[in-house]
Amino acid sequence: MEAATQPMSTGGRPQLGRSPASRLPDQILRLGLTAIAVAVLALLAYFFVKLAIESRLVFEEEGILGFVFANNWNVAASIYGALPLVVGTLITSALALLFGVPVAVAVAVFLTELCPKRVRGSLTIVVDLLAAVPSVVYGLWAFYFLIPKLKPVEQWFADTFHFLPFVAIDSVPGPNYFIAGLVLAIMLLPIVCAISREVLATVPADLKEASLGLGLTRWEMIRTSMLPYARRGIVGASMLGLGRAIGETIAVTIVIGDSPILGHSIFGQGYTLAAVIANEFNEAAANPLHKSALIAAGLVLFVLTLLVNSIARLAVMRSERQSGRPISAGGGV
Amino acid sequence: MESGSLSADLLRPPSPRRRRTDKAMRALMWTATGIALVPLVLVLYYTLQKGIGALDAEFFTTDPTGNFLGAQGGVKSAILGTIEIVGFAAVVAVPLGIGVALYLTEYGGKGRLAQAVRFFVDVMTGVPSIVFGLFIYLVLVLAGTGGSTFAGWKGSAALALLMLPIVTRSSEVALQLVPNSLREAALALGAPRWKVVVRVVLPSAASGIVTGALLAVARAAGETAPLLFTATIVKATTFNLNQPMNSLPAQIFQDLKQPNDELVERAWGAAITLIAMILLLTLIAKVIQRRSRAKGAT
Amino acid sequence: MTRQTTKGAIDVRFRKTGVLLLLSALLALGVTACGGGSSSSSSSGGSETAAEESGGTETASASTEGLSGTISGAGSTFAQPIISQWGSELQEQGLTVNYNSIGSGGGVAQFQENTVDFGDSDAAMTDEEVQVAEKNGTPVHVPIVLGAVTVSYNLPGVETGLKLDGATVAEIFLGNITEWNDPAIEKLNPGVELPETAITVYHRSDSSGTTALFTEFLSDYSPEWKSKLGEGDTVKWPTGTGANGNEGVAGGVSQTEGAIGYVELAYALQNEFTFADVQNKAGKFIEPSLESTSAAGEDVKFPPDLRFSMINASSSAAAYPIASTTFVLVYEDLCKAGKSEETAKNVVGFLDYALGPEGQASAEKLDYAPLAPELREASQAKVEGLKCNGKPISAG
Repeated sequence: MEAATQPMSTGGRPQLGRSPASRLPDQILRLGLTAIAVAVLALLAYFFVKLAIESRLVFEEEGILGFVFANNWNVAASIYGALPLVVGTLITSALALLFGVPVAVAVAVFLTELCPKRVRGSLTIVVDLLAAVPSVVYGLWAFYFLIPKLKPVEQWFADTFHFLPFVAIDSVPGPNYFIAGLVLAIMLLPIVCAISREVLATVPADLKEASLGLGLTRWEMIRTSMLPYARRGIVGASMLGLGRAIGETIAVTIVIGDSPILGHSIFGQGYTLAAVIANEFNEAAANPLHKSALIAAGLVLFVLTLLVNSIARLAVMRSERQSGRPISAGGGV
Repeated sequence: MESGSLSADLLRPPSPRRRRTDKAMRALMWTATGIALVPLVLVLYYTLQKGIGALDAEFFTTDPTGNFLGAQGGVKSAILGTIEIVGFAAVVAVPLGIGVALYLTEYGGKGRLAQAVRFFVDVMTGVPSIVFGLFIYLVLVLAGTGGSTFAGWKGSAALALLMLPIVTRSSEVALQLVPNSLREAALALGAPRWKVVVRVVLPSAASGIVTGALLAVARAAGETAPLLFTATIVKATTFNLNQPMNSLPAQIFQDLKQPNDELVERAWGAAITLIAMILLLTLIAKVIQRRSRAKGAT
Repeated sequence: MTRQTTKGAIDVRFRKTGVLLLLSALLALGVTACGGGSSSSSSSGGSETAAEESGGTETASASTEGLSGTISGAGSTFAQPIISQWGSELQEQGLTVNYNSIGSGGGVAQFQENTVDFGDSDAAMTDEEVQVAEKNGTPVHVPIVLGAVTVSYNLPGVETGLKLDGATVAEIFLGNITEWNDPAIEKLNPGVELPETAITVYHRSDSSGTTALFTEFLSDYSPEWKSKLGEGDTVKWPTGTGANGNEGVAGGVSQTEGAIGYVELAYALQNEFTFADVQNKAGKFIEPSLESTSAAGEDVKFPPDLRFSMINASSSAAAYPIASTTFVLVYEDLCKAGKSEETAKNVVGFLDYALGPEGQASAEKLDYAPLAPELREASQAKVEGLKCNGKPISAG
C-alpha cells in the first residue's frame, strides 16, 4: 500500500523520464506483491478468526484466565485448566533454546569462518540433514536410546546439585522436561544453524578485513564485527527455531511423559500444549468442549510465540541502541 | 576472507592472552560442531540399523497390502504420495512465501499492512503442525470441499500453511541482508524498480531463499500430524490429488504401532527413504546454488 | 556494461525457475515412473474406485458381480491389524478397504462427522455420542472380534502369571501401592518371592479405547478410582508415566525394572510379554488368552442394539475379566447417510466377510478371539438389517 520505504524512496527520480508503458511492469510487480501480501494476510486472519471462534466455548466455560492459569487439566471431569501445559511448553522451549541456539550459532560461525574449505560443503549438508529426520524418528530414538542412556547421568546431576532450585527429584522418571528440551534442541539446531549461516555469509568482506587489519584476532573479529552485524538475523533464526520447539508435537509427546500434573523439577515429567493436542485430538472431535479446549491450547501457543517474538525484538533494539550503532543490514525480527 | 590475515600481519601481533582466548574460542567452535554432529550420527545410525533390512526392490515397487499373514508389500504409494503432497504444497507455498517476503522488504516497509502481515507470520511460526491439520479438517474436510472428504490436496493445504511462515521468514531475513547500496546503485544507473527487484535483489538473496525453502520442504515432508486428518492413510497408489493419499510419515506412524517386527522394520526403512529423499533434494539445490554463485550472481 | 548485467541477471532468473522446474520434473518423473508400475502391482479397481468414495458422484454402477471399489474406515488401533488383514483378503475380489487407525475416540468422531464409510470403536458409543451421530441416521453397532487388555509387568525373577485382582491393580495405578512386596500383592501370591522393587506405572497418554476398557474395569473394583478418575479414553492419571500407543507402554515397561502397564492382548502375545492372571467375577485368577477371552463372551446378555460391555460381565469361571469386543459403526441406512449404492453394497460385503468363517479364522490367526456363536448371529442380523434408501442391500 504505502510504497514509500527506505530503499525505494530514492527510486522516484530516475523514473521521471520514462514513458508510462515502461513503468507498467513496475506497477504490476508492486500491485502483484501487494495482492499476495493482502491475500496471505486475509488467509492468516481467517485462520485465527476461525480458531478463535472454535475455541470460544471453553473460554466461556472456564474464562480466559481460568483456562490459562488454572492448574487442573482433567478431561474425564471436563475441567480444562492449562497451566501445567503452558509451563511445560515454556520450560521445554527455554531448555531447547538454551542448549540449541549457542551450539547452532557456533556451528554456523565455524562453517563460515573456521572450517577448512574442503569439508565445508559436505559438513553443511550433513548439518542440514538434521532437519530431514522426521520428528517421530527423533522421538523414538530418544525414547529407546537417549532416555535409558541419560537416566543415570540425570540422577547423578539431580542428587549432586539438589540444592539448586528445580533440580532435586527422588527418582528421575525416564521421560521428562529435560529430555524433551534436549530433543527439541537437536531439532531446532539445523533451522537456526542454516539461517545464521546465510546471515553470517553476508557479512561484508571489507568489514571483516578492516577488523583483522586493526590487529584483532579471528575470534575478536567474529565477536566484534560478525556477530553484531548478523545479530538481527540470528535472532530471527532463533525465533523460527523457537517456533519449531513450541509447536513440536509427536516427538515431545513420546519423551515428556504426558502427565498433566505440574512437575517440580526439570527432571520431572510434564506435558506441553502441543503434545496434549496430539494426544487428545482423536477423540475430541466428538466432544465440543474438549475440542474447543484443544483449539484454545493452540491459541495460547500463538500468544506465547508472539510474546517471545516481541521480547526478542525489543532486546535487539535495545542492544543496538546501547552499542550505539545501528547495524546497517538487519535481518528481520 | 583469506586476505584478512595478510593485513593483520601488518600490525603489532596480539598479546598472548588475546591469542589464548582466540585459540580457546576456536576450539569451542570446533567442539560445538562436533557436539552437533553427535546426535545426527546417532540418529542416522539407529535408523539405518533398524530399517536397512527392509530396503529391497519390492520395498520401492509395491504398495502396502495390509496382509499380516503373507507378504506385506512395500511403501511405493507412500513415497509417491509424499512427493505429490509435499510437491504440491511447495509449489503453492514457496512462491507465495517469497512474494510476501519481497513485499515486506521492498514495498511494505513499516506500513500498516506490512506490520499486520509480519505479525501474523511471526505468530504462525509457533503454531503446532497439528493445528494446521485441525484447521484444514474443520474448513475443508468436514465441508466436503471439492466433492471429497479426505484428499491429498487437503494434506498439501495443511503443509502449505506450515511452510508459508518458514519460507516467508527465512526469505525476509535473506532479502534484508541485501545491502541497500546495491539497490541504490542499480536505481541510480536508471534501472526500473522491478528490474532491481528481479535482477539484483532476488539473485543476491537466492542462496538464503533456497535454503529457507529447503528447510520448509524438509520440515513439511517429515510431518505426520497434519496429514492424518486431511490426506489420511491408504494403501493404493493414486495420482488424483482429490483422493485420499498415502504418505511416508503417515505410513511410518501406522507401521510403528504394529505388533509385527516386519512392519516396524518397514517403518524404519520408510524413515531412511524419507531422509534420503530430502538429502537428494538438498544436493540438487546445492548444485544449483553453486552453479549460480560460480557465474557471479552474488 | 548495462547489457552485460542484464544478460547475467536473466541467466540467474532462469536458474531460479530452474529450481522449480527441476522440482516439478522430479515430481513428473515419479508420476510417470509409477504410472507404468501401478498397472501391474496394484489392483485393477485402483483408479476408478475412489470417485465413489466422495459420496455424491453417481458412477454408472459398472459393478457386475462381486465387490469392487473402495471403502474407507477409521478408528480403533486395536482392530487395525484384523481390518487391514480382511482388507487384503478382499483385495483379491477387487475391494479396497482403507483403514486409518486413529484410535477409538477418533473412530467415533469421524463416524459422527460422516467422513468415513464406517467407524470402529473398542467401546460402544455412549447415549450422548449416539445422539450426535443421529443427525446422519440411526447408528448400528456391529461387534466383529473380541480382544482383551493384559496387565503386563517387568519384574526380574517373577515369571508370568503373577496373580492380581481388580482392587489391587487399582491401588497400584492410583499410586497407593508403591512397592512390589506390598502386603496386598503378597497376599494374592503366596509362595512367590516378591522383591522390594519400586513400582513404576506406565499408562497410555493418547486417547485410547484400551484405556477406556481398563479404567472401566478398575472403576468396578475401586470406589476411589470411580470417584477420582472415572472411566474414559483419557483420564487424569495420579501417578506414573504416560506413553504414546501400545508400543510406547510396551517399550516403557520392557525398559524399566519394576514397571507395570496395560497392553492389548494381541500386542502382548506377539511380543511375548509377562502378564498377570487377573481375578474374574467368579473369583478365579485367569490368564489372558484367546480361550479365556472367548469365554468372556459366552453368557453375556446383550441388548437389542448390541451396545454392551464385556468387562466383568461373564459369570463363566473361565472368563478373563478385562475383555471386550470391537464394534464396527455404520449407519442403518447407508444411502440416506450420503453413501452411494455401491459403497453401501461394499460395506455390507466387507462385514459379511468379516463375520463369515474365513474372516473369523483370520482373526484367530492374528490373536483375536472369534465371536461366540450367539453374538455372531446377532451381529449378522444387524448387517442384514442395513438398508439403502429403505431397501435391503444384497451383497454380491
